[in-house]
Amino acid sequence: MLSQLDSLKTDALAAISAAQDEAALETVRVNFLGKKGSVTALSQGMKDVPVDQKKEVGAKLNDVRTTITDGIESKKFALQAALDAKAVEGIDITLPGRPSTGNGAMHPLTQIRDLAIRTLRRLGFILAEGPEIETEFHCFDALNTPADHPARNEKDTFYLPDGRLLRTHTSSVQIRTMEAAKSLPIRIIAPGAAYRRDEIDATHLSVFNQLEGLYVSNDVSLADLKGTLEAFFREIFGPNTAVRFRPHFFPFTEPSFEIDVKLEATGKDARWIEIAGCGMVDPAVFTAVNQSRGDNLFDPETTTGFAFGLGLDRLAMILHSITDIRHLIENDVRFLQQFAA
Amino acid sequence: MQVSLSWLSTHLDLSSYTVPQLSDLLTFAGVEVEGIEERGVTTDKVVVAQIESFVQHPNADKLSVCQVNDGTGIRQIVCGAKNFKAGDKVPLALPGAVLPGGFAIKEGKLRGVDSMGMMCSGKELGLGDDHSGLLILDAETTIGTPFNQLVPSDVVFDLEITPNRPDLLSHLGLARELSALTDIPLKGQRDYAKTSTKSKSAADDQVALRATDVCPLYTARIIKDVKVGPSPEWLRRRLESIGLRPINSIVDITNFVMMEMGQSLHCFDLDKLHGGIVVRNASEGEQMLALDGQTYTLLTDDLVIADPKRAIAIAGVMGGEETGVTEATTNVLLEAAWFTPSNIRRTSRRLGLSSDSSYRFERGIDPQQVAGGSELATKLILSIAGGTAEDVLHVAGEVPALTGEVTLDEDRARKLLGTPDLTGDEIHTILEKLGLGKKAATKHESRWHIPSYRADLQRPVDLIEEIARVIGLDRVPSKMTAVAVPSDATDRAYDFAMTLRQALVNRGCFEAQTLRLIADVQLPDTLGGGTGVAVKNPLSEDHTTLRPSIIPGLIATAALNIRQGADRLRFFELGRVFLKLPNGNSREEERLAILISGPVSPSSWHARTPHAADIHELMGIITNLPGLSRVSIEPKAVKESPANFLLTSELRAGNRNLGWIAQLHPSRTRDISARHPVYVAELLLSALRQGSTGPAKFEELPRFPGMTRDVAMEVPADLPHAKVAAFFASQKEPLFIASEVFDVFTDPTGQKIAKDRKSIAWTLTYRSPEKTLESAEVDAAHQRILAALEKALPATVRR
Repeated sequence: MLSQLDSLKTDALAAISAAQDEAALETVRVNFLGKKGSVTALSQGMKDVPVDQKKEVGAKLNDVRTTITDGIESKKFALQAALDAKAVEGIDITLPGRPSTGNGAMHPLTQIRDLAIRTLRRLGFILAEGPEIETEFHCFDALNTPADHPARNEKDTFYLPDGRLLRTHTSSVQIRTMEAAKSLPIRIIAPGAAYRRDEIDATHLSVFNQLEGLYVSNDVSLADLKGTLEAFFREIFGPNTAVRFRPHFFPFTEPSFEIDVKLEATGKDARWIEIAGCGMVDPAVFTAVNQSRGDNLFDPETTTGFAFGLGLDRLAMILHSITDIRHLIENDVRFLQQFAA
Repeated sequence: MQVSLSWLSTHLDLSSYTVPQLSDLLTFAGVEVEGIEERGVTTDKVVVAQIESFVQHPNADKLSVCQVNDGTGIRQIVCGAKNFKAGDKVPLALPGAVLPGGFAIKEGKLRGVDSMGMMCSGKELGLGDDHSGLLILDAETTIGTPFNQLVPSDVVFDLEITPNRPDLLSHLGLARELSALTDIPLKGQRDYAKTSTKSKSAADDQVALRATDVCPLYTARIIKDVKVGPSPEWLRRRLESIGLRPINSIVDITNFVMMEMGQSLHCFDLDKLHGGIVVRNASEGEQMLALDGQTYTLLTDDLVIADPKRAIAIAGVMGGEETGVTEATTNVLLEAAWFTPSNIRRTSRRLGLSSDSSYRFERGIDPQQVAGGSELATKLILSIAGGTAEDVLHVAGEVPALTGEVTLDEDRARKLLGTPDLTGDEIHTILEKLGLGKKAATKHESRWHIPSYRADLQRPVDLIEEIARVIGLDRVPSKMTAVAVPSDATDRAYDFAMTLRQALVNRGCFEAQTLRLIADVQLPDTLGGGTGVAVKNPLSEDHTTLRPSIIPGLIATAALNIRQGADRLRFFELGRVFLKLPNGNSREEERLAILISGPVSPSSWHARTPHAADIHELMGIITNLPGLSRVSIEPKAVKESPANFLLTSELRAGNRNLGWIAQLHPSRTRDISARHPVYVAELLLSALRQGSTGPAKFEELPRFPGMTRDVAMEVPADLPHAKVAAFFASQKEPLFIASEVFDVFTDPTGQKIAKDRKSIAWTLTYRSPEKTLESAEVDAAHQRILAALEKALPATVRR
């Protein structure tokens, strides 16, 4: 019996080893361990084994059964592993990925505008807007622009037949915002389109994009303007960017400044590049707003504020080294692709 | 404005400042330096030399070896120019000279031959652009003379003077400003506000001032027996240095006075006048031939200087041709006046005629210097052109008082500037340096007299600006205040727009930004039916109208990209459109437009030519947009599709119009040479945003599994999907919770299914919130729905 068990074990292991798939392995299991299998048949002979040998034969029988069971299990595992490996056979991971719909891109102007907006929002500015078809009052009069100022000329400004005009700057949103304000402080930024009657060429567009900012309260000073705009431009151009303020003139701010940042163009020395205009809101603007509102919320004796404006197209050109502003309106996909995230 | 450093230096000694320092000084005073041109040489090491003889260079065809006399001896110079002959006098740069641009001259060998200096072209000396050969000098010049004695060196600044500072539009004005900024005193021998000439009220037949509102002050002085000719060299050089062309001595003197001290003058040929001067408004349609040879037609708003018969000058803008000073003139009438800026500006703009004179008058000149300008010009005329001047100045009107006193609250100044440490003394010093006169001062307040040339200083804030300008922003601390301000609808609209953009970018679309001003010929590409707003004064026919729709711009974008070889087009734009309302007003609204055409995915090794997008592709993009995930969109064909489109449909969500979708008409598609059908949609941002308001509300997850049953049916080919969907949506069967179409089959050949029929298949889902359903219950519910389906729709269910 013992020798029978030994040969049975040998046969079973050989059969397991020969099995090529799970079905063949199952046949092996049935043949040896099934109800009518050889091991089962032998174990039924246990009752005829003399008592003094029972212990030995019983142990042997158990050993044979365990060995076969384990063999089948590990073979099963090996077969599955081989199958799994086969499933990824021949895959070349170095091939390009499937493009599905491909990636688009936001327009570089949108990206710049968003960068500016995110930065200024962190400083507590909220967004504001106003119409692009404006009245002369909102675009010029209320902004302290003399009645015969050259900017009002039909040569420089687009007009509608009814006397309204296409706003020449987003500064008109300052007036719109102050007219509608219920209380102070006002702390807004207004990105938007503006129009000037310029022939389109490499550096000019007749429709361009600006970002206006306005902070009005009772204790706003030039120091607030300086700190805020320095922080803003360092966020945009890098923490070590040099920023300078040059005195300038705008009808609606006093004092007024132009802002330059020192930037390096590739292969050239760093130079000052004009980037924005700013200043303290002229009291005449507050007076005009009060007249329009019919109250004295913006008391020119006590209210102060700063305003700034910058050209987003120009900012995009500087940041991305774009040489011709017309790229920004032509929307050639080979251009747009370069700004994919 | 061009400003000469050597001219400025006649007013104050700037020798302790380098050119870059001066440039910075001006820049931070608010005067933008747009250009700096250095002319001539400052070094003594460029001298007049004479070429005695020359021979061909032994080793170079293009070079000559010259023997040159520099006044101390003969030098050998190798030279590449060809435009000289023996005996010519030329500028010679000696070793050690540094030429404009930093070029240093050394002794050396050129192709093996010694060269002991360099003979120069005009350009090399900073004189003009002529680089074609050596600068050949006058034969009379003395050998050995330093060249800078012949042509003094100069630096010319091109300055942008802001419109609030007309007082800087002269050399004296700039000198005054620089003196205030540098503490260098003005040489001061010239105070044009003081004159020694007696004034006398003009008789009416001398000067009849008929328009004091726009000409408060007019003066005239007659100078007889002048001899008009070319100006002396110093005067010509002064004018040429700042880009003015010398004409004749009289005209040159008036130009010189204007650039010296800001008073614009005019000289008439006295013998051409038919009597005294009349200052009056033009008569309607009055014509005058001006000095530029053009005839101008005037209106009653325009001011003219006239004699009793006709207009002889457009006041402050340009003189008349007939009465202008020529070489034949012997007697002149010298005008010096003050005209109201707005009037001059209006006339100049309307006529499109601008002059150095109108430029100054329309910004405002110093009224206290009118007589001084006249006196300076008279002196110069007498000394240069001879003749005798009347001993009095005929004055009509009065010197207008443009400036007065301004009281400055110094605490307010400190507060506005953010400089609490700025002392009263500092403030006073600054204002006094700028020429303001302190009339009174207390601890916190001071009262200031404003000089007549600073009419821009009228209010306290104008003085604060001056203080800021002088102390500069370096003195002001940087302060940062972040203030919490509640966001509003504009903020939420922006955030939503950015979410939309990101979603479309993730779907492979590129964001375009097209011009809001479009051409009339683009208007038929409008989707949504609006009318744009036409501009009264367009620049060109390409940009006449504010767009009523973004689609025209996207079609132009598609066309441009197709021309560049693009095949697969995926564009969107988010922006404003302008709609003309029936009452003549206009409305501006934000929209999103999408244009797609060509393969559904970029070509790759997976799929060389993926199939082209159809309208369902675009609809798929739309239905997956932020704001629309919980909205069911019903396209509704518009009655008359615009000519450039097919399939134009309004997209509705209940009563709400979301926008429009369409296929570009094949003929328009061929126009732009598109290789695939083009699909467009334009959506209203406000309508999209309505679908995305508020946080989503959680719904309890189903605890029991659902069961599905499929149904296949044959229906007429023209039965819209929406009808079937509406039927399922309307079913009240309690266990029936969802339905979805999963197949649509047609056969245009009619073999598998009749041409006018289609086969559609839906899967229906059943679920109970209380228990796991039995098959039998589901089957029963399904059969009830199928029965209702066959009743409600022309459908044959396949069982």
